[in-house]
Amino acid sequence: MKRKLTALTLGLIMALALPGCGGSGSADSGSGESASADSGDTVKVGILYSATGSMAISEGAVKDAEVLAIDEINAAGGVLGKQIEYVAEDGASDPSTFATKAEKLVDQDKVVTVFGCWTSASRKAVKPVFEDYENLLWYPVQYEGMESSSNIIYTGAAPNQQIVPAIEYLIEQGYSKFFLLGSDYVFPRTANMIINAQCEAAGVEVVGEEYAQMDQTDFGSIIAKIEATDPDVIINTLNGTSNLSFFKQMSEKNYTAQDYMTMSFSIAEEEVKTIGGDILKDHMVSWNYYMTTDTPENEAFVAAYKEAYGADRVTSDPAEAAYDAVYLWKAAVESAGSFEAADVIAAVEAGGISFDAPEGTVEIDGSNHHLIKPVRVGVIDAEGTINTVYETEPVDPDPYLTTYDWAVAANLQPVE
Amino acid sequence: MKIKNQGYNICFAVIILVLAAMPLLLSAGVITSSSFILFLGKCIAFSIVAIGLDLIWGYTGILSLGHGLYFALGGYAMAMYLKLQATNGKVTSFMQTGGFTDLPLIWKPFLCTPLAFALIMLIPVVVSGLVGYFIFKNRVKGVYFSIISQALTWAAYSLFTGLQSYTGGNVGITEMSSVLGSIKGSAHQTNMFIMFYSSLVILVVVYAVSYGLVHTKFGRLLIAIRDGENRTYFSGYKVSTYKNFIYILSAVFAAIAGEIFVNFNGSITPTQMTISYSITMVIWVAVGGRNCLVGGVIGAFLINLCDYNFSSGAMVEIWQYILGAIFVVTILFFKGGLVGIIRDQLPMAIRKVTGKEAG
Amino acid sequence: MVQFINTIFNGLSLSSIILLTSLGLAITFGLMRVINMAHGEFLMIGAYVTYIVQEIFVKIFPESLFSLYYFAALIAAFAVTFALGALMEHFIISRLYGREIDSLLATWGISIILQQAARSIFGMQGVNVKAPSFLNGGVSIGPCTFSHNRLFILVLVAFCLFIVWFIMYKSDFGKKMRAVMQNRAMAQCMGINSKRVDMITFSLGSGLAGLAGCSVALLGSIDSTVGQNYIVNSFIAVVLGGVGKLIGTVFGSSIIGFASIGIENYTSASIAKAAILIIIIIVLQFRPQGLFTTKSRNLDE
Repeated sequence: MKRKLTALTLGLIMALALPGCGGSGSADSGSGESASADSGDTVKVGILYSATGSMAISEGAVKDAEVLAIDEINAAGGVLGKQIEYVAEDGASDPSTFATKAEKLVDQDKVVTVFGCWTSASRKAVKPVFEDYENLLWYPVQYEGMESSSNIIYTGAAPNQQIVPAIEYLIEQGYSKFFLLGSDYVFPRTANMIINAQCEAAGVEVVGEEYAQMDQTDFGSIIAKIEATDPDVIINTLNGTSNLSFFKQMSEKNYTAQDYMTMSFSIAEEEVKTIGGDILKDHMVSWNYYMTTDTPENEAFVAAYKEAYGADRVTSDPAEAAYDAVYLWKAAVESAGSFEAADVIAAVEAGGISFDAPEGTVEIDGSNHHLIKPVRVGVIDAEGTINTVYETEPVDPDPYLTTYDWAVAANLQPVE
Repeated sequence: MKIKNQGYNICFAVIILVLAAMPLLLSAGVITSSSFILFLGKCIAFSIVAIGLDLIWGYTGILSLGHGLYFALGGYAMAMYLKLQATNGKVTSFMQTGGFTDLPLIWKPFLCTPLAFALIMLIPVVVSGLVGYFIFKNRVKGVYFSIISQALTWAAYSLFTGLQSYTGGNVGITEMSSVLGSIKGSAHQTNMFIMFYSSLVILVVVYAVSYGLVHTKFGRLLIAIRDGENRTYFSGYKVSTYKNFIYILSAVFAAIAGEIFVNFNGSITPTQMTISYSITMVIWVAVGGRNCLVGGVIGAFLINLCDYNFSSGAMVEIWQYILGAIFVVTILFFKGGLVGIIRDQLPMAIRKVTGKEAG
Repeated sequence: MVQFINTIFNGLSLSSIILLTSLGLAITFGLMRVINMAHGEFLMIGAYVTYIVQEIFVKIFPESLFSLYYFAALIAAFAVTFALGALMEHFIISRLYGREIDSLLATWGISIILQQAARSIFGMQGVNVKAPSFLNGGVSIGPCTFSHNRLFILVLVAFCLFIVWFIMYKSDFGKKMRAVMQNRAMAQCMGINSKRVDMITFSLGSGLAGLAGCSVALLGSIDSTVGQNYIVNSFIAVVLGGVGKLIGTVFGSSIIGFASIGIENYTSASIAKAAILIIIIIVLQFRPQGLFTTKSRNLDE
């Protein structure tokens, strides 16, 4: 009998706990609703990055840049007279968690828009959420392209704003034996598919293509393969931390940029800072923005960033794109005169939403939700700063590469 | 015996009733967000894995640190079917990146609905059957089994991330709706409710099957194996067959859970078959209370609810510390988990207090 | 030929790194039967200690002394993880002897806490240590280059292996240690303070993890997840070699190391990893106790 009693207590506790949690959820969303309603004086936005797990190391800086932008806007009077309030959720480096948390943000917290996601995996996992709930995601990272959702604004580079011009530049410089090295996930695979097609059309030889595991720490056999094929440039799409292992292990074999030049698409100031200028000296990278980009807006951005987060912090392309995202959202909201995602999307698609960003003026291309932005090829010096050596006029985004004959010929556009 | 165990059933019934009331509360406007129901749907999936894990760990003493593998296998099989429904049988973008212009061979069976569903159930049975057959026949047990199960999951994880053109690599399979069509957003609420209640029914069935099983002679044999494997051998039972059976059953539960999860989540990624994800599943059982089926259910709901609610702002950091501390404290002092606390420690504490007052 | 030598050297180097990370486990898991999932986090602590020592040297000492930081870091990393190991043994592990699986789950909780602590203290971004100048670059013999770094790790592993072997099989303490691990009650009857032996043994294993962390810091970045990258490999190496046998761990690590490099020559890293794991699982079917087993009449061993 006693057993029965205690079990009943157990059941009761459980019964109380469940609606309790659900109740607390509804209480949250209740306040969220009042916040997002027109009567309140704040507007709620979501920020969704990994604070735990293996991706936290990369995603923190992007979040910092967005918080900085929000604070700046709030200090300057907010958007449409409202202060921005943000809810930061943790995606825990798991795409499924990203999807769950995105649902929570848009449906329970009733945020008007979300800034977030770093990996393509997390973006693809949350994409249906934003489409089904008719909300809007601002995605700040350069990516592999071949996508354009009406509920996502891509403020990072499309392949034709980073990869394609960099390869063109390399070919112009006379490099002719390419080695493709990447981490084993969708961005490097798709990027290398594009590069292969481009090289074939240009008559340049690709001597090898290798993929490392995401958490690979030993590059001995990959370096051996590079030695065996003897390329004159390595196209590097390794993800964040693998880069450090790879370059350290290259340098311990006494290799410098004179032996094997590299062109990297995932090394920004953050990574340069950890790897060190002595190892990365003379290697090339391709982005839209560097900390050294010479605009008055950038000077202010770098100063504000350092003031907010410490003098030893550096700004990078993804952080800058994330910073732009918040301001572009503000511009779109003001143009729409409403916080509703549908109105904001309509305003974006009407065109003309622009922002004087640190990288120069950027504008959202209403037809495919990407940014029109300049491309810059940079070379790293011994102090670890990246200096621009080649710069283009703002390039129109072309996520499916439909304006490139070789891409069309290679059938790169997804049939899906 | 009867009265003692009825308590667990009552507890389970209460949980089910509360869960069943949630959609009604949503309709009545007490809960304002339908995403919470979607989340509870995922939790139902998690509690099914937990029941399966409890069967092999709590009752039979086999600790698998690789059940994420079966969860993901079920999930992937389901996702392959759903993805082909979503694309009308066309090749997906990751296949195209891998150079396919036609569906790869392993995807073809999923075009046919009955065959797909047969495979969805068959794949975990075959894989776990093969693995279990060899491992148990060769008398790999205890810690060795746990580490082999880790290695197995890791191998599968590497394979799934490496074969990107077949599996979608790290991104997994995304952008599909459930078997009933879309269940997200206010327009599809009916679908969501149907999905939610069918999952709830599956949970009840899984619980009933497991409960029935552990209260037969078979169930007592499992406990005998846990407490004295060699003695059971010497009593003339073929332990490996029993172990293999319960392992397959638990893998099938995990796979069913994976299938439900995909329907609610709309995507499946290799993260679901990582070692840490698999260990998390074991933790649900440990915290809820092993060796009684309802414990796993409670643990799965509790930890996930906390994860869900404590993941914004400053709580992220604190929650990680609390989570770690909960594991340590539970394992060190409360072997029976939450159920154990209420069943054993709480009455003892009450007796102490009242005893003192009386004295 | 050049490629062959390179492959051998790479295999040797990878094996030595796996062995270094497994040595501590060979003691805590192999001898004490404690599955310390936080072992990887001790490795991470060792790496962070290296970073801290480096920063201190940069701030306090003149640049000419910079390279010496690494020796200080080796000692500091060992000392810190040794002390932490003692603490953890005293408060947690000592309650879990004989409960192998429970020790696994409890230490998993510790590993979550330690990872978050690393993020809270050092921030989310990874940090990097500079190799001391004498470890930069490599020796070139003909067309082959052997990096100083890798050679150093080889030497360090050999040194650690010798020390562990000496302690285990040649010292008085080792005798006590093995006695306690083989038959605790009997050892206690002989007047051995088994609690003290347990604590020192566990701390030694943890300290070795710290040393391993100090050396992997030279190879890659240091962040909160660095331990996770090594831990599973190490467990598998210990199990494959045979629990409780030092020589087994050496063979286990070498097999994984050479097989990884060998198979990776022909296929991608992910597929190679899967292939090796499957081969190991198959091998363990035939030798469930690992390649080198301790002979025992105990039925449940």
